[in-house]
Amino acid sequence: MAINCNMDSQTTPLNYSIETENLNLWYGDFQALIDVNVKIPDGQITSLIGPSGCGKSTLLRCFNRVNERYGNVTTEGKIEVLGKNIYDSDVSLPELRKTVGMVFQRPNPLPISVYENILFGLRIHSPVGHLTRAESDQIVEEALTSVFLWDDLKDRLKVRATSLQLEQQQKLCIARLLPLKPRVILMDEPCSALDAKGTLAVEELMEVLAGKYTFLIVTHNMAQARRVSKECIFMFLGELIEHRETQALFQTPQHPKTADYVQMRYG
Amino acid sequence: MNSLMTHPNPRQKFVLQGIALVILGAVFFPVWNVLKKTHVSDVPISSVARVPDPLSNLFNDLYFFLSISFLAILLGVTCAFYLQEWLPETNWVRRLVENQVSILSGIPSLLYGLLAVLIFLPYSGVIQKIETVSSDGNVGAASLKATVFQGDTTLFYAMLLTFVILVMPRVIKTTQAALRSVPMPIRESAYALGASRSQVLMKHVVPIAFPLILAGGCRAMSCAFATAALFIGVCIWSHAPQSGQMTGGFVLFLGGSLILSILSSFLIERYSPVPTRNT
Repeated sequence: MAINCNMDSQTTPLNYSIETENLNLWYGDFQALIDVNVKIPDGQITSLIGPSGCGKSTLLRCFNRVNERYGNVTTEGKIEVLGKNIYDSDVSLPELRKTVGMVFQRPNPLPISVYENILFGLRIHSPVGHLTRAESDQIVEEALTSVFLWDDLKDRLKVRATSLQLEQQQKLCIARLLPLKPRVILMDEPCSALDAKGTLAVEELMEVLAGKYTFLIVTHNMAQARRVSKECIFMFLGELIEHRETQALFQTPQHPKTADYVQMRYG
Repeated sequence: MNSLMTHPNPRQKFVLQGIALVILGAVFFPVWNVLKKTHVSDVPISSVARVPDPLSNLFNDLYFFLSISFLAILLGVTCAFYLQEWLPETNWVRRLVENQVSILSGIPSLLYGLLAVLIFLPYSGVIQKIETVSSDGNVGAASLKATVFQGDTTLFYAMLLTFVILVMPRVIKTTQAALRSVPMPIRESAYALGASRSQVLMKHVVPIAFPLILAGGCRAMSCAFATAALFIGVCIWSHAPQSGQMTGGFVLFLGGSLILSILSSFLIERYSPVPTRNT
């Protein structure tokens, strides 16, 4: 299988946030990822596309090891996040998940107030009573401001986060990652539950935040992949088929399967 | 990237688990001893002729029942947490226990009462005493009852065993259902923010599942109380139809059972997960 990895960019040598080496993953007997070698550049938006069940989400979930929770998962190979193999025995999962944040398909704020949602991550990572009231107010304001929610929600910080609009909930889910100062943000179809306006809002937000954080986004929406991402990865049946700059991948796909998919002959 | 390199210390974890075990032991053993002493050995053996105060006896029984049920419920809840949250679904121990639990919790509680009377009690040598007392005649139900509770320590174990078999499967089943009813996205988001399993449990899963766990406990206890009421009733009507002194116990247990079952249905009605908007 021709794995057409990496881009032909002539720019300065890129730093990679995530690198995998011969990553194989099984759910029981079913092999969901086959020899995936990928390098995700730092501080950019990279999108993962492919038909359903091709392993996009599985790959995404490997990077903060949340898929281990489902049981019956075997992983082989190497995943380096920020230069550290995350399957080493000295890696602490809470720290890994603090560094690699995740946004899910359906907005899943915790059933507590907006204010507490934003502080939840910070609270579990710092000793009890560590945060003063003033500090936490400031953190909440900063986080909400950077996702453009502060003006809407500043008077409603005490309402239950699950009662917000979906778009606001999804933005809140991004906002609550920010106080933890993650380096990488994984997004598993973050806009599939949102309408066009909400999608646009989340995309704009990603573009604004892209310089500070590395985004990896799984999407079924190819238009979205073209709009937001700088690089694009096409996967098919657990294998990484093509990884290039987005425009190049969509305009001159090198692998016939990629060509079929991006020209919507299936998928 | 330094923050990824913090060492989780397996030794620390081991020590913490050890401490937890010691605390559990330290809590359980005194409770166990107190129960054993207050209810079984330390009760002065009254002569058959003296009729003890029926009311104090009643509350003694109720207290005894409540403490045993509490122990059995605690045991069941712990067991359910371990099965549901720690063991993977494919684990053979979990599958075995879950199968047994579903079989045991399907058996009507009346049969457990029979089990207690026919199998556990004879081994504790109580039945003989009841018979001796009642064959003396003119003794009355209250002293009959007193004799039951002055049996040797094995009686305690017999009752505990009955309660454990009667209450535990029901509690395990309802607690597991309560834990399963906590929506997956809540756990997922907490884990993805880096919460450890105990943090997810303590901060989100337990507060959400607690009313339903409580309801399960109440329902199991109501079952046990109803069985107890039934047996007290049978005891009264077969041994001392005229006395009427034990009807207090019958009413107390029956009433307790009713109140508990009403409480549990209220909790279930009020707190079971309903499909809500946006979640």
